[in-house]
Formats: sequence, structure tokens, C-alpha cells
Amino acid sequence: MAAPFQLTVITPEKTFFDGETTQIIVRTTEGDIGILANHTSLVASLPSGPLKVMQDNGEYRLAAVSAGLIKVGGNKVHIFADAVEWADEIDIEWAKRSEENAKQRIAAKNSERDLDLAELKLKRALNRINVHNTLMK
Amino acid sequence: MASGNMKVIKRRIKSVESTMQITKAMELVASSKLRKAKEKADRARPYFNALYDTMCEIQAENPRFLSPFTRKSGEGKSLLVVIAGDRGLAGGFNNNVFKLAQARIDQLGGREKVDILPIGKKAVEFYEKRGYNLMAQYQNICESIKIVEAEEIAESIVEPYIKGVYEREELFYTEFVSPITQTAVSKQLLPVEFKTELKKSKALPIYEPSAGAVFNHIVPRYITGMIFGSCVDSFASEQAARRNAMENASDNASEMISSLSLMYNRARQASITQEITEIVGGANSAE
Repeated sequence: MAAPFQLTVITPEKTFFDGETTQIIVRTTEGDIGILANHTSLVASLPSGPLKVMQDNGEYRLAAVSAGLIKVGGNKVHIFADAVEWADEIDIEWAKRSEENAKQRIAAKNSERDLDLAELKLKRALNRINVHNTLMK
Repeated sequence: MASGNMKVIKRRIKSVESTMQITKAMELVASSKLRKAKEKADRARPYFNALYDTMCEIQAENPRFLSPFTRKSGEGKSLLVVIAGDRGLAGGFNNNVFKLAQARIDQLGGREKVDILPIGKKAVEFYEKRGYNLMAQYQNICESIKIVEAEEIAESIVEPYIKGVYEREELFYTEFVSPITQTAVSKQLLPVEFKTELKKSKALPIYEPSAGAVFNHIVPRYITGMIFGSCVDSFASEQAARRNAMENASDNASEMISSLSLMYNRARQASITQEITEIVGGANSAE
């Protein structure tokens, strides 16, 4: 049994996860990293991507993270994200709708700023859909 | 004419009673909204405090790094974000923020030196009427503000700062201290202000991709948090201020009703006494 560490996942709307785990895998802007207990201090930016949290039964629980920050230090891991959902709680219909919506906005080419916002929206939607599909496989 | 007097008093009592019903109802609505707003504010706080702490840590560990968010630049114009309520009838709530902002505007050199971004219908009305230059305006968003909306506002104020349109950006809103105390406060948004006292961690963390990149990644989120948090706080304050104002109004109304009913009873008694005297007088003269 690997050593446990404290994981806290916080979003502006709520504390999403607060408990012990033995391993997580998270996507940073530089690529996927795995974190075990007593990891060295690290601060990294997170794009929209998947997060895997090891559960007591030895299986990963999958979640979709929408852009944020990970902070590791003192055997504690904090993830601050704009939004997080467990893969099994993703509203796939809603995600697909917002994908469509974002694509329409990109096609409309209103302004550069609108394009940027739409692109971020599309990334978030695609991330949710990907995470959802990975779970369904 | 005692009975005529009675009628007038009766009518006044009725009118005060119906006003009191309204103030009572508003008081109840405000206190239930206040509870919700407070919960929302409490839930959001840990996230943004953590972002701010991280930002300060990066700055403390890398004292010489440069970021567009920390340099002082621009052509000397300032942007003031002023958050007030969407409705009146909340005591001095709206006016207190305006007063504080006004003092700052005078300090900065008058209306030519500042642009305003009003949030809340009352703020928009206030600055529009006085002919200020408004960068943008937002109404009816504080009650049910979502992170994406705060993000949008944050982006719209971060962008001109980077381009050097504004030298500094400040935020004015009402802080919720307790259900009976709310104070108008001002905070500097950009350039970012850091905490001075800070415990330095022993182990220098690794930053991916780099300290500067992480910092620049955090700042817009931090501004988003400031906007979101202050909107929620301001809304909670508005509700608390309104509840207090309405509570006072209801108290005054019930005081008025009791003094009016005293007057009414006196008048009624006077008219009865008069009637009896008349009857007795009539009976005596008939004998």
C-alpha cells in the first residue's frame, strides 16, 4: 500500500474534493504528471484536461478539470480550478450543446475577443466530452 | 367635530398599516436573500484566498521577476470599478460607496482623469447623470453572478491595462462585515498589490512552465475572483442594509400606529362624553 497524501480540489463554487489518496495523474500545460506522496514542491498551470484520483479500491476515479492551478508541497496537494466534475456526473447533452454553441461562435467571427472566449469554451466542452467518453469505454 | 376627526385618524392608521405591511415584507425578503448571498460568499472565499497567497509567494520568492501586471505604466488615467446596488431603499448603502469613490476621484484630479465601470443599476444611473466617461456598464448581475460573468468583466479590464490605457485600476464596493455593519471599501486591482508580511517556505517550489508564466496565468483569475467576491459581498451588504432600513421603518410605523390609536381612542371617548352630556342636558331641560 502506497503512502497516502492529502488532496484538496477547490473551485469558486465549492470545495469539490477533500480527502486522502495515494496517487493522482493530472494534465499540466507541460504534459501529464503523476503525483505520489512526498512529492517535491511544485506549482503548475493546468489547462482544461482530465484528472485521475486513485481510490481505496485501487482504481482511478476520473474527473474533468477546467483550467486552473496545482500546488504541491508538504505532502499536500491543492488543485484550484474554474470548474471540476466527476466523469460520471458530466451532463453530456449539455457539453455537446455548448460544443455546438462554441463552434457557431467561432464560425461567426464576431471579434477577436469573442473568438478567444469561444475557443476556451470549446476546449472546456471537448474536455468534458473526452473525459466522459473515456469513462464509457 | 369629533366624528370627523375620528375618520381622519382612522384613515391615517390604515395608510400607515399598509405601508408597514410593505416594509415588513421587504424586510423578510431581504433577510432570506442575505442568507443565500452570505453562503455564496463563504463558499467562494477559500479559492480566491489561495490564489492570492500563491501570487504573493511567487512574488516573494522571485523578487526581481517582471510581469505586465506589476509594472507601473500607462498615461495617467485610472479606471474605477464601482459596485453598488440595483435598487434603492437600502438606507445609505449606495451613497456610501459613491461618497468613497468621489473622494478618490477628487484625489486623482477630477473626472477627466478617470473612467468608471459601474456595476449595479444605481451606480450606472449615478455616473451617467453626472456625465462621467463609462468604460462599460453592468446591471442586474450581482444577485446571481456566475464565474463566467465575472471572468468576462475581469478580461475587459485586464486587457486595457496591459495595453497601457490605464495607469491603475481600483475597485469600490461595500464589504459585508456583519449583518449590522457594512463598510464601503476600496481595493487596488492593478498593478497587483502584495502582502508585505509573508512566511517564506523553506523548499523552493518548481514552477511549470516558469514562475512568470504561472503568475500571469493566475492574475486574470485573481481579478475574476476579486470581481466575483466583491459582487457577492456587495449584494449581501445591500440586503443587510435594506433589512436594517426596513426594520427601522417597520418599527417607526408601529410606533406611529400606537400613537395614532391613542389619539383615535381619545377622540372616540371625547365624542361619547359629548353625546352623553348632550343627552343629559336634553333630559334635564325636558323635565
